[in-house]
Amino acid sequence: MNEQHIGWTLAAAALTLAMAAPAQAAGDPARGKAKSEACVACHGVDGNGASAAFPRLAGQHASYLAHSLLAYTTGERTNVIMQGFAATLSKQDRADLAAWYASQKGLGTAREQR
Amino acid sequence: MNNSRSLTLALYLGGVLACGPALAEGDPQAGQTKALPCMGCHGIPGYSNVYPTYHVPKLAGQYREYIVAALLAYKSGQRDHKTMIAQASTLSDADMQDIAAYFAAMSHEGK
Repeated sequence: MNEQHIGWTLAAAALTLAMAAPAQAAGDPARGKAKSEACVACHGVDGNGASAAFPRLAGQHASYLAHSLLAYTTGERTNVIMQGFAATLSKQDRADLAAWYASQKGLGTAREQR
Repeated sequence: MNNSRSLTLALYLGGVLACGPALAEGDPQAGQTKALPCMGCHGIPGYSNVYPTYHVPKLAGQYREYIVAALLAYKSGQRDHKTMIAQASTLSDADMQDIAAYFAAMSHEGK
């Protein structure tokens, strides 16, 4: 392989590795738990709820939770209470909170009940 | 009417009345059939939207009231998601109650 080919090969490899990087910041459940104090009143200590009006979060997919928090921040999803809370969150906060609730036992994937 | 007939009638009416409130909160059995279209996305473990890419939310054990509120929000357009709007638009209030009761009653791991 001559020098020109090596250069292009390295560039292509670098681009490929960069594209493989995760789209979301990795969330840490322990950090998420620490950040979830404000959520407890409505969603319960572990996300299993304090009232049926507010959704159970425990065991939910982290990507869905993070997307929901982002949607409240951008206004794609409207809710007076949640928009207020979400506005205070960074991308890392969203990922951490999502990871915390996802790690708790609660919701399951729907299965046909016989 | 003699005593045993009165008792029978009272028990019958009592049974009918006892069923009333439960049905007003949604019938999980009726919900099972009505929720078949939901299972195509919500019943597949780890299923994701195509774009934006995030997982379809788990529903087993979710609160009945919250599911009803979500379906109503999709039907009214207050909450935006093309597939969910299309699904919710086909549902009556009673359908929503039954479907929500079905998912809420499903076994799950939380308290």
